[in-house]
Amino acid sequence: MGGKVTCTLGEVKNRADLIVYWGGNPAECHPRHFTKYTLTQKGKFVPKGRKDRTMILVDIRETPSAKAADIFLQVRPSKDFEVLTTLRALIKGQRVSAETVAETGLTLEQLQDFAERMKKARFGVLFFGMGLSMTRGKHMNSAALLSLAAELNAFTKFVAMPMRGHGNVTGGDVVMRWTTGYPFGVNLSRGYPRFNPGEFSTVDLLLRGDNDAALILGADPGATMPQPAIDHLARIPTIVLDPKVTHTSRLARVHITTAATGISAPGTVYRMDEIPLPLRPALKSPYPTDEDVVRRIYKAVAKKPAWFPGTK
Amino acid sequence: MLRITGGKVYDPANNINGQIKDICISDGRIVSEVEGGRTIDATGMIVFPGGVDVHTHVAGAALNFARAMIPEDHRRNAPYVRGERHRGGIGGATPTTYVTGYLYAGMGWTTVNEAAVPILSARHTHEELRDTPIVDKSCCVLLANNEILLDLLEAGETERARHVAAWQIWAAKAYGVKAVNPGGVAAWKWGKDAKGLYEPVPGYNKVTPAKIIAALASIVDDLGLPHPLHLHCNNLGAPGNYNTTLETMKVLEGKRAHLAHLQYHAYGGDDWFTMRSKSAEVADYFNAHPNLTTDAGAVLFGNTVTITADGPWQHLLYKLTGRKWGNLDVENETGCGIVPYVYKEKNLVNAVQWAVGLELLLLINDPWRVFLTTDHPNGAAFWRYPEIIQLLMDVNFRREQLKKLAPKALKRILLPELDRQYTLSEIAVITSAGPARALGLAHKGHLGIGADADVAIFNDSKDIARMFAYPRYVIKGGEVVIEEGEIRKAVEGRGYVVRPVYDEKIEDYIRPLFQQYYTMSFDNYPVELERLENPDIRSC
Repeated sequence: MGGKVTCTLGEVKNRADLIVYWGGNPAECHPRHFTKYTLTQKGKFVPKGRKDRTMILVDIRETPSAKAADIFLQVRPSKDFEVLTTLRALIKGQRVSAETVAETGLTLEQLQDFAERMKKARFGVLFFGMGLSMTRGKHMNSAALLSLAAELNAFTKFVAMPMRGHGNVTGGDVVMRWTTGYPFGVNLSRGYPRFNPGEFSTVDLLLRGDNDAALILGADPGATMPQPAIDHLARIPTIVLDPKVTHTSRLARVHITTAATGISAPGTVYRMDEIPLPLRPALKSPYPTDEDVVRRIYKAVAKKPAWFPGTK
Repeated sequence: MLRITGGKVYDPANNINGQIKDICISDGRIVSEVEGGRTIDATGMIVFPGGVDVHTHVAGAALNFARAMIPEDHRRNAPYVRGERHRGGIGGATPTTYVTGYLYAGMGWTTVNEAAVPILSARHTHEELRDTPIVDKSCCVLLANNEILLDLLEAGETERARHVAAWQIWAAKAYGVKAVNPGGVAAWKWGKDAKGLYEPVPGYNKVTPAKIIAALASIVDDLGLPHPLHLHCNNLGAPGNYNTTLETMKVLEGKRAHLAHLQYHAYGGDDWFTMRSKSAEVADYFNAHPNLTTDAGAVLFGNTVTITADGPWQHLLYKLTGRKWGNLDVENETGCGIVPYVYKEKNLVNAVQWAVGLELLLLINDPWRVFLTTDHPNGAAFWRYPEIIQLLMDVNFRREQLKKLAPKALKRILLPELDRQYTLSEIAVITSAGPARALGLAHKGHLGIGADADVAIFNDSKDIARMFAYPRYVIKGGEVVIEEGEIRKAVEGRGYVVRPVYDEKIEDYIRPLFQQYYTMSFDNYPVELERLENPDIRSC
């Protein structure tokens, strides 16, 4: 178990006849997803667009995305893992009892129908959001869904993709991988990268109070992190680089206003399918770019005597 | 300015075979004489042109996907600790970009060819190559499953296909053209494969793998690219696939081609239980056809991760191993599959694979046409090349290693009967002079006047694996980058790009198709030249 069976969004546009969104609300969170990539586009092998495609939405509540779906399956909160495991059993023809299924809030018939639709699809895709990956079961939920997608390839073509967002988080992940080997949660304090989510991820470091300074770029942890983490950011010298004043700026020692990347600063953004897109600024900004500021900080730091592992 | 004196020079391109000779360097080039400057006393050492890797996977979306998939491998291998002149990072099967540069240079290799780049994510590949220091870089763009090209072949529009391909090569800022499992990856988009060379690719009526291979090889020749079509044949890894390989070589008659990782394409037998070596059959045909070059794609036992654009094969490997599986289909162009893998001595299939790689290197009699690779990281990580050099140069060591295999395996392979041993000069050919010539890099792979001053200096020792793993000095572009086992200077490398001629109007043909089938703006598709570090453009 492990890995990810995926594709770029153009494959979905050109081929997908079964589109499943799980634990996400694209209508409100990724409002262009339906129209640019998945539902309404006419693709090379789905020439009639929406009419050639079936959309299934799995979520714990009826969000505005349900209106776009052909089938809406309302799962009882924190039962996603059970549903996914049942589906993995059903596609392989294993026996599943109706009582076990009942506690998920769905019926065996609903899941049998779902499993059959997935097996019969020509090209199926499972998009999953934070309603799956960040609720009870967390990475085990994601792993179950990714395994389901992988195993479906014994019957037909099937792929999975996380519904990532929040600016260029995918780009950060991609660059971290080629420079450190790991996507996030990397500790460089020993002079080489170490990876341990739960130990070195930002929120864990802050909760333990391990770090004695923070440089925040393109994020607003002051608005989203648990209070004890925010308290630690307020205690230590925190520097924020952001085009606007954020919650984090208010508790930071220093806020540096920078040009908005993509509007008044150039750069590269990685789409959720890890395709890099160049950003060409339309406007000029009186503020420096993030890159400028980081380079200047680096230059100033480089004047100080260097520390290398193994030296005092 | 630099003078290397007292060393035994191996420069096969200039017929220099172990003579003691001074090598003089000025302004990054080999010159006839220098006055003053530093002198390196290479007495008791051997002097090689810097290594050239004709086929490796060191950068791009697929490799970066693999990095995320194998944190356990990163942890298992020795880390690369930050120092005054170099960055920290990770080694192992998929080294981080900086460490990739350090490890290649640390072994005496100074040029690498990244062998598989989709146009759609070429921007990413170039970003990574830019972060790969010291070595010079080139890359090959994947075209054999590009649906715009396949549709043109279906319609019989070969002339237009040539212009489209030329446009695509320049859009990707590539140096050569790669074909992976022609037609098979396109078929994989529906969960299928293309196994028969003369059977239509699923979804097409007239396009067959043979037709794609012939068309692309002709396009590359017609465009006059310095490197011939870089071909990963159909049916990689499958028992009995040597027939496909022989058929493919017949299709290529009269055209230039480089057959990648031939080891994976030289198997007999009907299934995994009867799989055996067919290296002799493949090598015989290959020996008689000088239009072809190849690289070994040798396998070494141990842990690694397999990465290939051959999606259907990786699905099979996932089903065989039951381990992790990564798959990334790239819209309208190609795909890739990733499966971590362990080659085991006692596994019959793995034993055959290990032997076939070495057999091909020993049975192909012209070292100028077969090059040392492991299809990094597929057969083994590139930093294990010295182990293969030892296996090639020392028949007794090879016999020792054969004892570790299951006795049953010995009946499936030819290796026990082969007693050829490579000479130092032949090693210089398969690691440097040969691949440089195949890549069309006239200033690489030799130490003649005017050549790039890329030089590796090794101890002349009986411990072959060790001497090639730890060069005494490595000089890149005239700068001493490795000395006394340390990185002295992490210089920037160059990026080789070709600019083939095409009709500018071809963009009017591609643009509407692109807007219909792709999901980004057409203007964002071609890679900007500024993304490359020190681009070196060849017009052709």
